[in-house]
Formats: sequence, structure tokens, C-alpha cells
Amino acid sequence: MKKNKNWIQNIMRSFHINSKKEIVDFFVRLIFMISTIISASFIVIIVAFIAREGIKPFVTDNDGLGAVNLFKFLSGRVWLTGTTFQSNLYSVGFIIINTIYVALLSLLIAMPIGVLTALFIAKIAPKKLSSIMRTVIELLAAIPSIVYGLFGAGVILPFVYNFAKTLGIQSPGGNSVLATVIVLSLMILPTITALSEVAIRSVGKDIEHGSLALGATKTQTHFKVILTSAKSGIFSSAILGIGRALGEATAVSLVAGNSQNGPSFGIFQTTSTLTSTMLQGLKETIGIDYDIRFSVGIVLMIVILITNMILNYVKKKVGNVNVK
Amino acid sequence: MSNKRKKFDKLLQTITYVSSSIGVLILSLIVIFVIKNGVGLINWDLVTNDYHAQFYNGGIEEVTTFSNTPRPASLDDEDIYSDKWGIAVRDGLDREGKPIVEVTYVAEDSPLYLMYDKNNIDNLDFKIEVENVISSIKFENKPSALSLYGAENMINDLNAENQFREIVFSSLGGGIRGSLITTLYTIGLTLIIALPIGIFTAIYLNEFAKKNRFTRIIRSMIEMLTGVPSIIFGLMGLAVFVPLTTKYTPADGANLISGSLTLAVILLPIIIRSTEESLKVIPDDFRFASLALGANNSQTTFKVVLPSALPGILTATLLAIGRVIGESAALIFAIGTTIKDDISIFGKSTTLAVHIWSLLTDEPANIELASTISIIILIIVLILNISVKLLSKKYLKRA
Repeated sequence: MKKNKNWIQNIMRSFHINSKKEIVDFFVRLIFMISTIISASFIVIIVAFIAREGIKPFVTDNDGLGAVNLFKFLSGRVWLTGTTFQSNLYSVGFIIINTIYVALLSLLIAMPIGVLTALFIAKIAPKKLSSIMRTVIELLAAIPSIVYGLFGAGVILPFVYNFAKTLGIQSPGGNSVLATVIVLSLMILPTITALSEVAIRSVGKDIEHGSLALGATKTQTHFKVILTSAKSGIFSSAILGIGRALGEATAVSLVAGNSQNGPSFGIFQTTSTLTSTMLQGLKETIGIDYDIRFSVGIVLMIVILITNMILNYVKKKVGNVNVK
Repeated sequence: MSNKRKKFDKLLQTITYVSSSIGVLILSLIVIFVIKNGVGLINWDLVTNDYHAQFYNGGIEEVTTFSNTPRPASLDDEDIYSDKWGIAVRDGLDREGKPIVEVTYVAEDSPLYLMYDKNNIDNLDFKIEVENVISSIKFENKPSALSLYGAENMINDLNAENQFREIVFSSLGGGIRGSLITTLYTIGLTLIIALPIGIFTAIYLNEFAKKNRFTRIIRSMIEMLTGVPSIIFGLMGLAVFVPLTTKYTPADGANLISGSLTLAVILLPIIIRSTEESLKVIPDDFRFASLALGANNSQTTFKVVLPSALPGILTATLLAIGRVIGESAALIFAIGTTIKDDISIFGKSTTLAVHIWSLLTDEPANIELASTISIIILIIVLILNISVKLLSKKYLKRA
């Protein structure tokens, strides 16, 4: 018992703890530090556990079905050949392409609208109007994705269906690339607008005044000087926007149509993204059909990471040629 | 300035105006759509009713005295009243848009009060009530009166008889009470888990941590969480928290605790950032004054720094609640999609947002009820947003 007490005292001395007050201080500090380590460790836990489950289909024999071939998994054009639980022929190749395709298309739509809205809010609109517009954008950002999904299912699907019909194309309930792209661009619009606005507002007044003094019109200044100066910030908004588009799940799963093969490039074809594939038909919590979702999750994380890296590289290249 | 230049400028301006009006257009479209489809179902019963309808089979002994109550004046023209049996019914639609026959009035001396529960003789509370839905009345010697043929036909059939075999009726169902309670539980549990960890982390990073490489790495690891899509958090919940909770609690499969733990991880970066921001604006003079008076670091933190950071923590809490209410992708995995009426934190059930998802993935999709739930969610999110804005405005003025 005595020995035990000495041991504690030794520890206390080594941490420079001499009084009761300092013991409390020490423990408070310890609790804070443990909380911090817990918070920081979650990213490791996420990666480790998803990797652990996701690698299973490739290294085990999946209850006699045989290991999934990684190369075929990444390059195939049909999600599952054969029946569930009786086949190991899964592939996400076409889904990767679909995911990137719809994300890029929605960025293509949302980007100009978002940047011009940001320009309007930051430079053109009178103070009152711009604060109203800012609130509108904030509200759009606050709407949960499931409500966008509902809007997609209730408004955009019928719209796409009728639009296809007038063109003489049969679209299955409107579930299509077009519907997915519209919903996604609605969802990333507030992100792009908010971030671009910050970038545009941080452009120095002297640059603007310089341009005006040289005889450029206001519109010329806005488009040729301010937007080009804010290029780097605008690009960051695009990176965040595409990140959101790639990772969006519920809204997309309601309008994509979950095609089982592809890739689908035609705007009225049904499509499927990595996220919608993960969500569809989750029934069992063991076996290959369950584990393979984690593999899709790994693929999604890698796709997001690579897209971010490429865009960051481009941003560096583009951002350097700045109007100074 | 040349004419061409002017025209080009005008064109660019117009494009800008059109683009910026698109945001407003989308917001109003969403709001109009949700209200138009959902407002019809909004009433207090929706919030208090169960989702799963309870079915009853009421049998009756020989009836000797019938009702004497005349048609009450309070009934509408649509109500069809049987003065013999003292019951009024009308044609209606249930929450999935299917036609039903619902009870709108039962007279006090109605012989239907003599009915007993055929499935459970001991059930003495058994009676048919207003808002119950009659699916069929079965007779001994003629075909049953089904709700399919409408309320009028049903009453006519009933009036012609002095006896029936049984009335099959049910509660209305389709209510969201279960999902609402689940959402509230989830918010509470998540905050209990996430707030202390998040606040402590923010305090450690801002008050205690040395500015070295280790702290920078910790910070960037937490920052990385914000970039992870929510469905990945859901997979994490499925792989980590669901097995954990099934092992140490009575739960089997996804449950409220695993869902809350998953949400807590999603919320951590939000809470940490918001708390840290409010810690940063506290002037160092406060800390120095406290330390100079002989308080140690932890006393300073709890008695001086934390009270001043309260508005920031409150903002974080409101933002967190908003996120919990709207979250769907992560919860589909981490909490499950089963809609339940009896809620236990160890059991399966689902929040309002996932309830919408279930309604929309059903065949056929129930847009009306989904819109009604969306109205509720949107109103809550709107209130939270406005509070955050007012809070930060007031707070910024003071600082």
C-alpha cells in the first residue's frame, strides 16, 4: 500500500504536481487532451475500418464464391453479373465514370450561375438587396439534402419526363442523368456562391479603381479585373462544390434511376453514382453484398481525393497567372 | 464608349441579373412545392398519431335497444348518419391518398358501444371512436359492406340489419409521432456525446496546446472530417458503432445509440470550430487578470473563459441540431430505415429525414406526407438559422 502511494507521488513529482489544486489542474488538462485525441482519431478510425471491411471481398473467398478480381471490379461495365449472394462478379468501373460525369456536368451548370450571383451580391446589388440575396443563399445552403431529393422527385422528375416526351424520347419516370445533374447543381449552387462571394469581396479596391480610372466601364471591370483577380478563390469554391456533388447520396439516389450497367452519357439515360449504389437494396449485414458497399466507399474516397488533388494542382497553375 | 461596347455590357449585365435571380427562383419553387403538397396533411393528429395502424375486430351480442339520438346539427353534409346505430361516417383519404371511410361521430347511446374485442375478450377499453377508419362490416347472411363502395353504401347496409357479425376498423395510421420522438432522442443523445468532447477539444487546442507540429497535425486531422461525405460516416457507423452497441447493449442491429454516435462524429468539427472561434475573441486580458489573481489554468478556463464563450457554444449547439434534423445519408446506415411507433434507444427506428427517404423509396412514393414532414423540418431549420444569425449579431456587437 505504502509502495503504491510512493509510486503515485513519484508520478506527481515528475509532472511538477505539488498541491491538490495542481492535481485537479492536471486531470482537467488530461481530460481535455484525451478529448482532443479522440476527436482527431476519428479520421483514422473511418479510414481504417472502412478499409478493413472494404478489402475483405478482394482477399477472402467470400463464403466459397471466390475473391473479387480487383482489376475487373475497377473496369467492369455491369454492377453485378449473376444473382445476389451467388456471384462475385461486381464492378464499379462504369459507376466511377458516371459519378465523375454527373458531378462535372453539374459543376458546369452551377459554376457560372453561382459566380455571377456572387458578383451581383458583392459588387452590383444595392446594400439591402444584397443582404436579402445573401439570406436566400444561406437558406438554400441550410435546406437538408433530403428536401432537395423530395423536390427532385416531385418536380424535376415529372419535368424531365415531360421534356423527354416532347422530344419523343421515353424516359423511365424521368430518372435520368439530366435530373441528377439538375438536382446536384441546385445543391452545390449555394456552396459555390457563398465562397465565390468571399473571394470577390476580398479583391482590393485599388485594383477596381485603377481599372475604372483607365476608362474601363463598370461591367468591364467586373468581368475582366475582379473576376480574374478572384480566380483562385473561385476555384476553391469549385473544389468544394465538386466534393459535395461527388459525395451527395440521398437526393441523387432518388432521381438517378440506379442503372445496373453503363456508363450512361445520354442525358435521358438512367444513371447510378457510387453513393446511390451504396444505398440501394441494403438487406443483409453479412456476406459479400454487404462488404462490397465498403469497397465502393473506399473507391468514393479515392475518387474524391484524386479529384481534389487534380483541381488543386490546376488551381495552382491557374492562380499564378494573376492580374497584379 | 462605342455603341458595340455598350451593347456588350448590357448583355453581360442581363446575364448577371438572370443568374442571380435563379437562386431566388429555386428557393421559392422549393418552398411553394413543399407547401402546396404538404399543407393539406398538416394538423396536430399527424404529429400525435402512430405510423402503423392498429386493426380491431369488433363483434356484438344480440342488440335489443337501438340509438334514439337524432342527427346532430354539428355534422356536415358529407357526413352520413345512421340514427338507428348512432354513428356518422364520411368518405375521406388516408395519408397515402387512398380512399377510406372514417368515423366522424358516435352518439352516446349508440349500440356500437356494446361491441367487444374479438381478438382479446378481456380488453374492456375497447370501443369505436371518432377518427377510426372502418374497413368493412361483415354480416351473417349477406355480403360484407366494404369501404371500397363508399360511406353511403355502408350505412345503408347497416341500417337494413338488426345484427352484424363484426366490424373491422383501425386507427388512422401514417402519423409521424415515432419518427419525431426518435429525432428528439437522437438530438439529445448526440449533443450529450458531442458537446463535451467538442468543447474540451476546442479549449485544449485554443488554451492549452503548444503551437508545435503535433498540434498542427491534430488540427488538420479534425479539419479533414469536414470533407468526408456523410454516407462515409454512415459506413463508419455501420462498421464501428453498430457492432459496438450490439455487443455492449441489448440492441441487435442498428439502433439510436449507434446513430447518435455517428452523428456525434459528424458534428465534432462543427462544434470545435464554432467554439474555438468564440474562444479566440475573448481578450487575453481576461485570462491574465484571472491568472494574476492566483487562479490556475483550469480555474481560469472554467470560471472565466467558458462563460465568455457561451454564445459560441450555443451557436454550435443550434447548428448541430440543424444538422441532426437534416441528416439522412449517414443515418440510413447507422440508425436504419424502419419506421416504428414504440421508441427505445436500443431499438430500430428512424428520424424524420430518413422517414422522408423511406416514403420516397416506397412504391408508389408518398409525396404528400414527405412534403408535410419537409415543412416541419424546414420550419425548424429556418428558426435555428435565424437564431444563429441573431445570436452572432448580438455577440459580435458585444465583442
